[in-house]
Amino acid sequence: MKRLAFLTVLVLVAQAAPAQTIDCGAVPGWRQDGPARSYEPDNLFDYMNGNAEGYLIYRFASMRGITCKHGEDTLVIDLSEMSDPEHAYGMFSATRDQRVPIEPIGMGGQVLPRRAVFVKDKYYLEIAANPAKDHSAALRGFVAAIEKTIRGQTAPPDQISWFPKDGLVPDSVRLVPESVLGLRMLKSGYIGQYDFGKAFLVAESSAESAAALMTKLKDRVGQSTAVGIADEAFTAADKYLDGLCVFRKGRFIGGFANLKGGHDATAAASKLAASVK
Amino acid sequence: MKDKSSRRDFLALGLAFPASAMASSSLSGPIDPQAPKPAIQSTGGLSYRVLGKTGLKVTTVGFGCMITSDPSVIEKAADLGINYFDTARGYQGGNNERMVGAALKAKRNNLFIATKTGASTKQEALDHLDKSLSELGTDHVEVWHLHAKSKAAQLTDELIEAQQIAKKQGKIRFAGVSTHSGHAEVIQAMIEKKDHFDVWLPSYNFTMEPAMQALIESAGKAGFGVVGMKVMAGGFRRAKPGEKLYDTLKRDGAMLAALKWVVKDTNVHTTIPSITDMEQLEENMRAMTVPFAKSDETVLAAQLEHIRPLYCRTCGECDTRCPKGLPVSDILRFLSYAEGYGQYSLGRESFLSLPSEARDVRCGDCSYCSVRCPHGVKVAERLGRAQEIFA
Repeated sequence: MKRLAFLTVLVLVAQAAPAQTIDCGAVPGWRQDGPARSYEPDNLFDYMNGNAEGYLIYRFASMRGITCKHGEDTLVIDLSEMSDPEHAYGMFSATRDQRVPIEPIGMGGQVLPRRAVFVKDKYYLEIAANPAKDHSAALRGFVAAIEKTIRGQTAPPDQISWFPKDGLVPDSVRLVPESVLGLRMLKSGYIGQYDFGKAFLVAESSAESAAALMTKLKDRVGQSTAVGIADEAFTAADKYLDGLCVFRKGRFIGGFANLKGGHDATAAASKLAASVK
Repeated sequence: MKDKSSRRDFLALGLAFPASAMASSSLSGPIDPQAPKPAIQSTGGLSYRVLGKTGLKVTTVGFGCMITSDPSVIEKAADLGINYFDTARGYQGGNNERMVGAALKAKRNNLFIATKTGASTKQEALDHLDKSLSELGTDHVEVWHLHAKSKAAQLTDELIEAQQIAKKQGKIRFAGVSTHSGHAEVIQAMIEKKDHFDVWLPSYNFTMEPAMQALIESAGKAGFGVVGMKVMAGGFRRAKPGEKLYDTLKRDGAMLAALKWVVKDTNVHTTIPSITDMEQLEENMRAMTVPFAKSDETVLAAQLEHIRPLYCRTCGECDTRCPKGLPVSDILRFLSYAEGYGQYSLGRESFLSLPSEARDVRCGDCSYCSVRCPHGVKVAERLGRAQEIFA
């Protein structure tokens, strides 16, 4: 009985432990410099005026930050909470260095000489390091320590895995929070860059609304040709989106655009459609 | 009613407001009467002005690339004739410059690109510039801004030196400063050092006090090219989905009216609204050919009417009316810093600078508020809000 009570206390203590902790003391030798920072959508501009919109479009909810010092070295650590894991991952995929592979930190992360980022659940962490030199050892230490304090989703959104790998620029799939392909009617969705064009995938709330959206898309592109993919599909040409093939499968609308000459748009879109669950 | 009509007049007249008189009282820096007047030309669905002393002939509507996700929108803008594109080193973690560079590569020679650095030292700034040029795929940019400067002290000698070095190296053609707040202080400092700066990039929109027009005019008189940002009144910044303000700003015509209001100010040479899709682009293009009209005035007046219960004109009518001695208009102004301009810390800092007897008052303790705003601001409610978020 005593043992059960002890375990219960342990569980309660663990649950009560502060989550998403950022602490300069997490890595030996570092100390906090100045007060902690805290921002919400209404005052994020105080901290990063000129860059805040880039957070707000990914449904930014709040940010906590600290600055850590070790001798002359400074780390500026900011942990942002977005509305959900999908948008947190979207923020990460928009701001990560697209020429450097994603590491398995949380849902994904990168540690560069002067910058580290990772996303886990609905949290997006950024660390900027000064002065100019390789800070990756310290950055890795903080990333590991902070990542441990965040619970929740560690896998990227399912839709990312639906993009066919053949020809896909590695780690290029990202969430576009508004106007996918520059089309306002495609409100939010994923884009993946391929050697021969780009793929997109938009989820509507229902198959009916997706069907209505397909009609609007066809009207917008003008002349189109029906093709046999999933529930319905068409190919067309557009001055800025070049050759494109769009399909609807249930509540999802997807396809390829900006296809380079000679590439079979229908075949490419068929592969994507086959992956959509 | 009087205020309502005067506010409408302000919207309608816009530039006719006695800005020069205000400028003389708010600025003491030298004004160059020989500064070039902005040329205005219109051709083929586009209108152009000369970007102050840079001599660049820019479209009055440019392109703010900060949150654009798809380069095809940028490419289309260039095809349609927009020739001024704005990005920054820090946007999208550096990815934005790369996208802008790729989208504009084929037309680079006919376009003007502006970027910014948020660096605080000379070396860091120059490093940023090299990185910007590399990412943009160009050997120079037309304008390189010191990013988000809100205090004169931030225009440091070493940052100015960095801009001068970059000019001599041919990496930038013109030096600029972007300002989201503290406009009066920054433009004053720029005018005092006007030989070092060419372009000013302030936030500017129809919700701002008329004094802002005076600052814009002063910048123009000093010969600076003036580029307006946040021209849609931060429609996505302050309003959230589900809020009435959001719905109003998203309403057809409101965003275009807001852009046209800025474009009609001839002291603003170009504007950089954020553009994320083809529809926004096409709508914004119309601001170059369709003049600001009575209908736009109505839309914007309605918008101001909507924010009227929140929007203090700082007329001072309410001062000395509070039996507790609250400096009412001051507190409402502090609140507008936080809620109207997103400057929470400035608002709080200002509030906390009040004497303790004013800071400690809680309007909720009074059963009746004797302060009445002649313009309809809900004073007790707004004071309570300020006490809630600042005290």
